Amino acid sequence: MIKKKICMLGAFAVGKTSLVKRFVKGIFSDKYLSSVGVKIDKKKVIIEQQEVDLLLWDIHGEDEFQKVQRSYLRGSSGYFLVVDGARRATLNTAFTLQKRTEETIGKVPFVLIFNKWDLKDEWEIDDKTMDDLSKDGLMVVKTSAKSGQGVEEAFLTLTREILEA
Amino acid sequence: MNERMLADLFNHLETVVMERLDDGSFRLVGCVPNWFKRFYPEAVSRKEGLRLQDNSPFLENFCIDAESFWVGKGAGRLKSGTFIEMDPLGDEYAMEASALCSREKKILLIELLGTAYEDRKAVLQKARENVLFREYLEEEVCRRTAKIRLREEEIALRLVWATESRDKDTGAHIRRIGLYSEALAKALGWEPQQADDIRIAASMHDIGKIGIPDKILSKAGKLTSEEFEIMKKHTEIGAKILEGSDIPLLQMAKEIALGHHEKWDGSGYPRGLTGKAIPESARIVAIGDVYDALVHSRIYKPAKPEANALVTMTHGNGKHFDPKIFECFLRILPTFRIIRQEFHGTETMLYLERPQMTLFRRP
Ligand SMILES: Nc1nc2c(ncn2[C@@H]2O[C@H](COP(=O)(O)OP(=O)(O)OP(=O)(O)O)[C@@H](O)[C@H]2O)c(=O)[nH]1
Ligand SMILES: [Fe+2]
Ligand SMILES: [Fe+2]
Ligand SMILES: [Mg+2]
Repeated sequence: MIKKKICMLGAFAVGKTSLVKRFVKGIFSDKYLSSVGVKIDKKKVIIEQQEVDLLLWDIHGEDEFQKVQRSYLRGSSGYFLVVDGARRATLNTAFTLQKRTEETIGKVPFVLIFNKWDLKDEWEIDDKTMDDLSKDGLMVVKTSAKSGQGVEEAFLTLTREILEA
Repeated sequence: MNERMLADLFNHLETVVMERLDDGSFRLVGCVPNWFKRFYPEAVSRKEGLRLQDNSPFLENFCIDAESFWVGKGAGRLKSGTFIEMDPLGDEYAMEASALCSREKKILLIELLGTAYEDRKAVLQKARENVLFREYLEEEVCRRTAKIRLREEEIALRLVWATESRDKDTGAHIRRIGLYSEALAKALGWEPQQADDIRIAASMHDIGKIGIPDKILSKAGKLTSEEFEIMKKHTEIGAKILEGSDIPLLQMAKEIALGHHEKWDGSGYPRGLTGKAIPESARIVAIGDVYDALVHSRIYKPAKPEANALVTMTHGNGKHFDPKIFECFLRILPTFRIIRQEFHGTETMLYLERPQMTLFRRP
């Protein structure tokens, strides 16, 4: 059995916990309960007849009150950078975290997630920005933890990328 | 104090004390609190050490840091940071581990955080909700300001168009002048707010034509020199209409109305100003106005192909036009063409589209 560690990184309230909940348990809640500390969930996925045990490290959101400790990143096979499409500042936080992660554990696959796709009408980040980012070679997935749209795809994309890396 | 007492004490503190053995497992010191048994039911009966790492990926990771801390005989405590474990019933427990060295022994503490954690969590939750709410308010202010601006702009354009409707200039011309000027201002490095202002202010450049008699304004042939003297007055009439306002946009509009027929070499009107004595806004509008007049037909003249228009304008570089702005104009000519294509019509075209959300890029 292969085990792979994946970190959920991003600003607070972008939906890291909600994405894990949706993917692992298939549930969603509108209530915001900010994470304090690290919580690890497990989920088995099958990719091309290969069973993979994913260890999903849901880390508290990065902000002025809580920083992401570098030691949490160790051993990650890949990570998600989660952005709230309706809050453009969260994209900058994502890039800060990306830089720090790469400095700490080197280059491993990551997927940039634009979450809250169901609220698209209120998004501040437009399609062109997202297209430009994918043209730059980043893997970009739009998701909604609320409706479930794109969530499975995001996790499978990253896992596939990890297996190929 | 004997070991039992110590263990009792730790139990009170909701802390598990363990000694790290040479095989990498952990031996419990003292009694085991009930909450810990939920995660490690075997903890009580077991004779050999517990392998914490196998059950908890978080502790597995922390043990790597702890190991180097023990080996280095670190002083004080190395803390893991808060982590959350779920018991078999699905209840969540917030904990923190720490490593410390005591009399050559490698000690690991696991502390149940309890109420202190709940308090901290409540504070952080509130703080974050506040930040979210503040962000939301700022967003809302931006959205509403943009809406108001759009309304202002439409009102201004409609009024300008009304005053100019006797002239054969069209709403599309008014719109284009604004957009050309905005493009030039941006290319010259103006602040976004100023560039926004000139888009509207530029459209008012000929507002003074309201005071010019019909027979002159609509005359198909060449104006006599007396008629031309009257026509020139549209600059000062426009300035009169717009002057004395506290609103920066209108102050700029006044400068433009008064100065858009001035020429770089001093041969323009009404004041014959030279060079930088002419406000930059007016120098910008002069270029867009001439370009637009040349490439479109007017009652008194047919349209010129762009190439010819550019030849004519190049003759005016340094005489009629500010060379620096002219150079900028040539550089962003493709933008001018796009504006012409989009607003080519002779109809009024005063309904405004919601302006494109400004793109932002990676820093
Ligand atoms: N409409 C909508 N709301 C979402 C979505 N994902 C998350 N939310 C909401 O956004 C809020 C924050 O979600 P969380 O999953 O707690 O965010 P987080 O990134 O884990 O936040 P921290 O733990 O504070 O860093 C909650 O109120 C969620 O219900 C989504 O896809 N659509
Ligand atoms: Fe004029
Ligand atoms: Fe004009
Ligand atoms: Mg969370």
